[in-house]
Amino acid sequence: MHSIADSPLRTFLLKNPLIVLLILLVVGVQLSTGSLLTWQNMRGVLLDASVIAIAAVPCALLIIAGYIDLSVGASLALGGVVAGHVMHGSLASAPLAVVLAMAAGALVGLVNAVLSTVLGLSPFITTLGMLTAVRGADQLLSPLPLSGFDASFQFLGIGSVAGIPVPVIIATLVMVLATLFLAATPAGRHVYAIGVSREAAFLSGIAIRRIPFFLYVASGAMAALAGAVTAARLNSAPAGQLGLGFELTVLTAILLGGIALTGGEGSMLGVLVGVLFLGLLGNSLTLLGVTSFWQNVASGLALVAAIGITAATHEVRKRVAARRAQLSAPATGPAAPAASRPESAEIGS
Amino acid sequence: MGFGIRNLSKRYGATLALDDVTLDFKPGQVHALLGHNGAGKSTVIRCLGGGASPTAGTIEVNGEQKQRLTPRESREAGIAIIYQHLSLVDTLSVSDNLFLGDEHTSRGLVDQQRQRREAQEVLDRVGADFAPTARVSQLSMGARQLVEIAKALRRSARLLVLDEPTAALSPVESARLAALVDKLRTEGIAIVYVTHLLEEVVRLADHATVLQNGRVVWSAQMQGVSKADLVRAVGGSSHARQKNAPPAGATVLQLEGVVCGSAPPVDLSARAGEIVGLYGLVGSGRTRLLETVFGVRNRRGGRIVVDGVPAGTASPSEALRAGIALIPGDRLKQGLFSTLPASDNVVMPAIARLAAPFRKRREERGLFSQAARDLRLHPADPRLPAASFSGGNQQKLLIGRWLTAHDRVRVLLVDDPTQGVDVGARAEIYRVIRDAAVQRGIAVLVASNDPEEIVALADRCVIFQDGAAVADLDMESVDEASLLAAIHTSPTS
Repeated sequence: MHSIADSPLRTFLLKNPLIVLLILLVVGVQLSTGSLLTWQNMRGVLLDASVIAIAAVPCALLIIAGYIDLSVGASLALGGVVAGHVMHGSLASAPLAVVLAMAAGALVGLVNAVLSTVLGLSPFITTLGMLTAVRGADQLLSPLPLSGFDASFQFLGIGSVAGIPVPVIIATLVMVLATLFLAATPAGRHVYAIGVSREAAFLSGIAIRRIPFFLYVASGAMAALAGAVTAARLNSAPAGQLGLGFELTVLTAILLGGIALTGGEGSMLGVLVGVLFLGLLGNSLTLLGVTSFWQNVASGLALVAAIGITAATHEVRKRVAARRAQLSAPATGPAAPAASRPESAEIGS
Repeated sequence: MGFGIRNLSKRYGATLALDDVTLDFKPGQVHALLGHNGAGKSTVIRCLGGGASPTAGTIEVNGEQKQRLTPRESREAGIAIIYQHLSLVDTLSVSDNLFLGDEHTSRGLVDQQRQRREAQEVLDRVGADFAPTARVSQLSMGARQLVEIAKALRRSARLLVLDEPTAALSPVESARLAALVDKLRTEGIAIVYVTHLLEEVVRLADHATVLQNGRVVWSAQMQGVSKADLVRAVGGSSHARQKNAPPAGATVLQLEGVVCGSAPPVDLSARAGEIVGLYGLVGSGRTRLLETVFGVRNRRGGRIVVDGVPAGTASPSEALRAGIALIPGDRLKQGLFSTLPASDNVVMPAIARLAAPFRKRREERGLFSQAARDLRLHPADPRLPAASFSGGNQQKLLIGRWLTAHDRVRVLLVDDPTQGVDVGARAEIYRVIRDAAVQRGIAVLVASNDPEEIVALADRCVIFQDGAAVADLDMESVDEASLLAAIHTSPTS
């Protein structure tokens, strides 16, 4: 018996409903403007999306593990500023700039990690505090915008290898590595387990602190890398403006990708779709000649609608799963999961 | 003008949780409901409270026959249910809680003065010694229960259902509650009293009913009924125990003077293939001992020895390295990864062991299907989220989690293995645990407050009372009645 309910395509689309919207958006805007799918336009979209993706990937892993990092905007600026200083210093070298920028970001991540995982403080509050504190530090480090970098450093933002822009290569690499991490390593499975139930994970002998700790450090380092890329693209690192509001962009992309804020759920494909959707939406509205104020209104509404659709399909998926459980349960066995626990009120007794 | 249920049946899937049960709850009478976990007590409560709709039969409310009640109808009919897990808002004051959702207002604002005045009246009625302005979070469990009861009285409840009301109370608080129940009875309120404690039944009840597998097996006026009669009525066995040859394996687990919390030190040993029952009421220290052995709680002293080697158990992962595994009592919160697929739930601890350094998917799948076969998991679908399995099969997933790590687990600690598992599936869980013990030669400790379960499962039984292990019984000479008697007498020492 192979009904439509079991078809892999349907399951896939229910898991990633945004893909349908994404395709509709691309086709619709392409038909009405004819300029969406030009190489020049897509290059711009992909470059923007790449910077978001680099920071969004580790951040998404944190959210799947039930944590959050709101400090990525400030870490991004820190990465840009540190890289800028190195390039203006006596040891100006692009690789050193990148390494030191990432180290600075990792340091921010380390502080987040200690506060949130070792000391067990609320991740929301600690990373929100770090967002403000690090932003201040950025401006202390560089009261005046640094600009005019060596071509070797600019290559990071505007160069390309075999016709592919460097930021896109970096983002692809980050995404592939994260996908491998989630699918192929034990720690990747543990991320989900911790996100679903920290207590159950603890009682299963999983290192419930070590994994999020590492992810926080990675999140800081990758946000800073995104900052170095941005500085290289702009050929300037204005501490006050770099990555302003970036944490919300990252969070939006992640939520659009169907990753639940409550943890335990989500995939890298989701992040990819979320990041692309966000980039294409803004770009499409520009191409359609929507003025910037209306653009904000439209993209805000589109985001709420997209997240609503994601939530609705999530419900459908749950119901499909429940039905499957019922179909495959034996005739003599209990079928409905919740209902088959007649004494559940006594749990904990 | 009374309350009652008439020929009530409730079917959950293929399980009959209630089977043609008729009970009367008369004004001014305390009706005690007794029975093991899964006997149907909670289903009765749920039907009365509007949380479940009966499959057949009627609910009598003030002389009127109803097919079912909604939670609102139930409340309006004067039915109040005091659950074990109280439903108060901790951060609000007592009077705020009493009037929650039904506030007195004056010109659109909450009339705090009037609420406090009326709260004081009703608190006086239940004999509370705290002020209406007190915060619930600062009250003891017994005081919180009084708030719940006061809340019911304020709504002029005519039928008060108390679900194991003394389970979390101190002896002093229990005595105070008993006095209150007596008082409410004289005020003409009908009371349903669900409990495991036979002494309370003898002391308080006018009428008692024993449920077993959803049926009434005994029901009588309490006049002239002694505790011994009740023990016999509750103990009527249904699970035939499959006697095994007494295990003769080497000692696997040894607890030497293990101290948890403020309880006296516990000495205990278990052989290979042996199942030791830890039997006692809620709060008697069984779960605490298991959690201490597994490293969830701090061990204040003593040694834990596994296979002759002292085991460090500062954390669960350390305990696991020493070969000790725990299947926790709160399956949904502490055990399952409810939204993850069944296979992940079973192989989670094995993933890291198999990986080198990348996951070995094929071996993981193999482990899952092996476990699914051994445990007769149903449905044996690795992709289905754990939450969509029945209680019994969820438990099998958790048992499978440690059996797939077979080369390491030497001691299996099981807390309340059939909590929320329907009657039909229990025998299956027992079989799985027994097979695991015998075939793999591991030592198993099973904590339970269900004498039937201990008799069905254990080779030996340690009785827990007030945090202390007070007796060690060989199950050859023990039945449910003697177990019940053992925990309902005061410690002899």
